[in-house]
Amino acid sequence: MSNLILEIKNLSHSYDETNQIIQNINLEIEKLDRVAILGPSGCGKSTLLRLIAGLEKPNLGQIIIDGTVVSTEKFIVPPEKRKIGLVVQEKALFPHLSVYDNIGFGIKKNIDKKTITNDLLELLKIDSLKNKYPHEISGGEQQRVALARSLAPNPKLLMLDEPFSALDKDLKGVLYEEISQVFSERGSTILLVTHDSQEAEIMTKKQMKMEKGQFL
Amino acid sequence: MNRLSFWSSLPFAVLIVFTAPLLIVLSSLFGDYSENWSHLYEFVLFNYISNSLILVAGVGVLVFFLGTITAWTVTNFNFPGRNTFEWALILPLAIPPYILAYTFTGLFDPYGDANNLIREILGLDQDVIIFPSVRNIYGAITVFGFTLYPYVYLVSRSAFINQSKSMIEASRMLGLNQIQVFYKLALPIIRPAAVGGMMLVIMETLSDFGAVDHFAIETFTTGIFRTWYGLYDLQTAMQLASLLLITVGVFYILEKNSRGNGIYTSSNSTFSPNKEEVLSGFRAFFAFSICLLPIFIGFILPILELSLWAFEVNIAFFNEKFFKNSINTFTLSIGTGLICAGLALLINFSLRFKPTKLIKRLSSLLSIGYAVPGLILAVGMVQLMVGLDNLIFSNLDIVLTGSIFGLLVAYIIKTYALANSSIESGYERISNSIDDSSRILGSTSWVMLFNIHTPLMKTALLTSVLLVMSDVVKELPATLILRPFNFETLAVSTYIYASEERMLQAAAPAIAIVLVGLIPIIFLSKMIRSSRPATEK
Repeated sequence: MSNLILEIKNLSHSYDETNQIIQNINLEIEKLDRVAILGPSGCGKSTLLRLIAGLEKPNLGQIIIDGTVVSTEKFIVPPEKRKIGLVVQEKALFPHLSVYDNIGFGIKKNIDKKTITNDLLELLKIDSLKNKYPHEISGGEQQRVALARSLAPNPKLLMLDEPFSALDKDLKGVLYEEISQVFSERGSTILLVTHDSQEAEIMTKKQMKMEKGQFL
Repeated sequence: MNRLSFWSSLPFAVLIVFTAPLLIVLSSLFGDYSENWSHLYEFVLFNYISNSLILVAGVGVLVFFLGTITAWTVTNFNFPGRNTFEWALILPLAIPPYILAYTFTGLFDPYGDANNLIREILGLDQDVIIFPSVRNIYGAITVFGFTLYPYVYLVSRSAFINQSKSMIEASRMLGLNQIQVFYKLALPIIRPAAVGGMMLVIMETLSDFGAVDHFAIETFTTGIFRTWYGLYDLQTAMQLASLLLITVGVFYILEKNSRGNGIYTSSNSTFSPNKEEVLSGFRAFFAFSICLLPIFIGFILPILELSLWAFEVNIAFFNEKFFKNSINTFTLSIGTGLICAGLALLINFSLRFKPTKLIKRLSSLLSIGYAVPGLILAVGMVQLMVGLDNLIFSNLDIVLTGSIFGLLVAYIIKTYALANSSIESGYERISNSIDDSSRILGSTSWVMLFNIHTPLMKTALLTSVLLVMSDVVKELPATLILRPFNFETLAVSTYIYASEERMLQAAAPAIAIVLVGLIPIIFLSKMIRSSRPATEK
């Protein structure tokens, strides 16, 4: 049985006819891999994550997650059925839900929601915040909550889009170490997108460079 | 039907329902023309057209000057009461024109309260008449002008606030005084915005039935009503309604174009808000009077007269009829409010979930009902209900015709735009990344709508329900025509009392309408108070 979690074949995408954002990209990520895509702003790395997440439909090529074709130019499996996670820079926490409810949001009803949520609260050292609302906690704490929320449904692949870029340098240093530890403990498969090479080196085992919609 | 197709097809389905009564009305132009039409054409159509034109021109000019001058005064000068005037200038919006018309006749008729008061003070004979009659087209122009000028005031004020200090200063350096700056520079710059507001006023004026009926002025709306209820000729009434609808359509397009042209404001990075000039002495008094006058005529005066009537027969507030009509009005308005808010939520969600150009265009068309006069909507709705009764309930007696259902649908079409504007701005505050996160975490469209968007939109939903409610409470012509037999609302009750010249009894329902009409004013005044940018010291 193949160990591949993500397979991208000849993927191309553009929002208009003149500007090709993604150009014939191929990528394979195996289970437990931790891969970083490094590149400047506007190189297409965030678009690539949106395509993998199913938030955009590609113009050409295929995306295969855990052996199932999920995106082609003709059809697209909606994001809610892909079993992947995405953490973005702006965190996108639900402002009307407490930290606890944010984390538990994506857990299916027939699964032990309480245990999973409490485990993640403890793992990410945010159990004291569980009854607080997003606007009552700091940026670093919000990022931990966003991460816990993405880990809660146990995604096959967790994608991180510049997750720490809005945080200050000291906080970043602490979070890199702690979150790498979390990923190791949970055996997560990670695809990180960043422009920070130090972040990529600490958080992942393999780094790829991207420019103008292509891997170098 | 899968979910995606539900979201794509919903705006289509709603558009069909919303436009059906209008298309029915317009289709009458291609039908037979009866003898009544020839009679109307020969004897009264010219009056309808000329009166409507005089009304529209008079009201247009009046609101343009009232709206822009007051807006200029409160944005550029600091004088005692300025901060209060800034929001109080929209208070007349709470008074429907027909209620101002009723209070005007109560005040200025030969034996009205204003004439009586002056005669008493000056010790004059009973046959001395101080104030001229208001039961004419000039009275109607005054009524519409002083209740509807806030439409122009609101857009002008916001446009004046956005005018740059450096631009005004440059014109002063070139030798223009404050008055010259106003009419040579500031006014031409905000003209597209003010004209847009003026078009809204004109549409409201053309749509009115209660005020022109009370003053016995022959306009399109009174003509439609009389043709239908006097000559019992629905076909000719629809043909008249079509002409009015086309006229309103022209003003609707003009209003949209005015908005499209935008306001020639400074949007560059060097923009700095205009500095206010502090006024004192006579100049402060003059500015104060300019702002007080429209509020006095459009709000304080009718409130005083209504209060006077209410104190004379305060028992009317507690009679069974008042309570029954209040409950009818409340039930209808809250029902319409909830349906409109729910519908606007679903439509805006479909726009977000399926943002195609076609759906965007269709959704913008759904707001057209706001511009359509209630009377035309009612005429079309009656025909639609009759058609549906024949089609669906052909074996039974009439089911939908004359039922509350037709009235409710007409209200929804008429007020959807209000609910939509609130929901639309509520949605603008929800980041798209919230939607992305919720979908990636496994939410279906319905889960996202109910568990994420609905709780985040609580305030927008409540606002839209209240805005719709306040408009439904005021609506007169559609209610008058579509209401079930023996069913009265506060507006209908006010109209019936006023048409029987029982003004004292009309006070209780009229005051209730004004109180509900104050709800959107409170929201607007809050926005106004928080909208002024910090000025340089």
